[in-house]
Amino acid sequence: MGKRIVVDARGSSCPGPIVELSKAYRNAAVGDVIELWATDPGVKADTQAWAEKTKNKIESIKEDQDKIIIVIDIENR
Amino acid sequence: MEKIVIVGGGAGGLILANSLDPKKFDITVIDKSPITIFQPAYLYIAFKGAHANITKPIRSILKKGRKFIEEEVIKIDLEERKVYTKNNSYSYDKLVIATGTITDTSKMKGLKEINDQFGDYHTNIENAQKVWKSLNNFKGGSLIIGMSSPICKCPPSPLEGAFLAEEFINKKGLKNKSKITFFTPYPRAYPSEPINEVIEPLLKSRNINIMTFFDLDYIDTEKKTIYSIEGDEISYDLPIIIPPCVGVNIEYNPSNVLDEDRFIKADKYTMQINGFDDAYAIGDATNIATAKSGVTAHLEAKVLANRLNGIDDKFNGRTNCPFDVGYGKGTFVIGSYTQPVVKYPPTRIKHMMKKVMQLIYWQSLKGTFDFAFDIFFKMTDPEKLNKKYK
Repeated sequence: MGKRIVVDARGSSCPGPIVELSKAYRNAAVGDVIELWATDPGVKADTQAWAEKTKNKIESIKEDQDKIIIVIDIENR
Repeated sequence: MEKIVIVGGGAGGLILANSLDPKKFDITVIDKSPITIFQPAYLYIAFKGAHANITKPIRSILKKGRKFIEEEVIKIDLEERKVYTKNNSYSYDKLVIATGTITDTSKMKGLKEINDQFGDYHTNIENAQKVWKSLNNFKGGSLIIGMSSPICKCPPSPLEGAFLAEEFINKKGLKNKSKITFFTPYPRAYPSEPINEVIEPLLKSRNINIMTFFDLDYIDTEKKTIYSIEGDEISYDLPIIIPPCVGVNIEYNPSNVLDEDRFIKADKYTMQINGFDDAYAIGDATNIATAKSGVTAHLEAKVLANRLNGIDDKFNGRTNCPFDVGYGKGTFVIGSYTQPVVKYPPTRIKHMMKKVMQLIYWQSLKGTFDFAFDIFFKMTDPEKLNKKYK
């Protein structure tokens, strides 16, 4: 069982949450889970493209009142 | 009289010092260097071999009634209200940190070696001159321009380098023998979509290969190959890579005012350092989520000058980053906290405006052109422009 890493990228739109995600991914290992919090709506498409590129799996995309939460299973690092 | 200490003699620190009334405040600027540098010119030293004089003595920019101390700050104690240099300490009533950033080549394996060999255009004049020398020695092959994460100041500048490198190679007649690649950790060439819609077709029309989601992991200098954490690789003959930027090496008490890259945590509207009502940070030194550029430092300094005068002014996140796309054309990246970046097409006039800025820079630090800037910022208000350029 890997660790769960929460990346709070709320309020960031330029350069954007992807850089925050990538920063967490740099230090992650296979089996870890990254939970990305963001407010920029562009994050959904960008994270999907990122996951496809890095061959990692998006477990879920949810929206609550003040943020979008994307959970990513790290399957490749 | 209220004692204001400003640490850092770059654009932000000097504009603020010159904007405050010395009859009302006791103003001191501290910097380890006696000179201030026009950093945007690094790009033109690197890709055009420019010889322009891009430094001035800080004392010559500070208007009458402001003090300058040439000493290196090693520690800032926000609890004690004291700034320590090697041999002295200075107390303050209000502190402003405007220390900018430095590049850090130690974060990725191989980056220091290629930086020593080929240079970059974010660190200093010598490194920019090294890029110009490397370009002139280039005989064709794989030319790579890229940026490293997480923080790169002046968001357009990595791409400006790609555009100007292509122009250089094309004019030198090496285009057929070369492949130019631009890499970025972002999902698209320029992170913000509207301006990317303007920039990406230009890159394609000039045969500049774009590698997105390429977050530099390490460089194998023997294999002459750059690897990304996403699992891609590119081989190079000439790599020009901008190292990540970090905050300067000053010790802080409390240390938690710094983020993990040594940027100072400050409020994005008031520039007040988190937890302190007598200390502020402006310009590149902060962790505020806006462009690290001279324009931001300028606008933040003006807002802070008003705030120190008791006016409840707030920084609106306005950016106005000049963007050279080569062949004498340019655009600007204009946006704010509430307005998306404008889809602003490149023109010759916009490029000329960037050139004019270089000519009036030293005077603008003294506030001579404040009236012209006010008119310019009103004319280019992002809300207005976003209605025009959809």
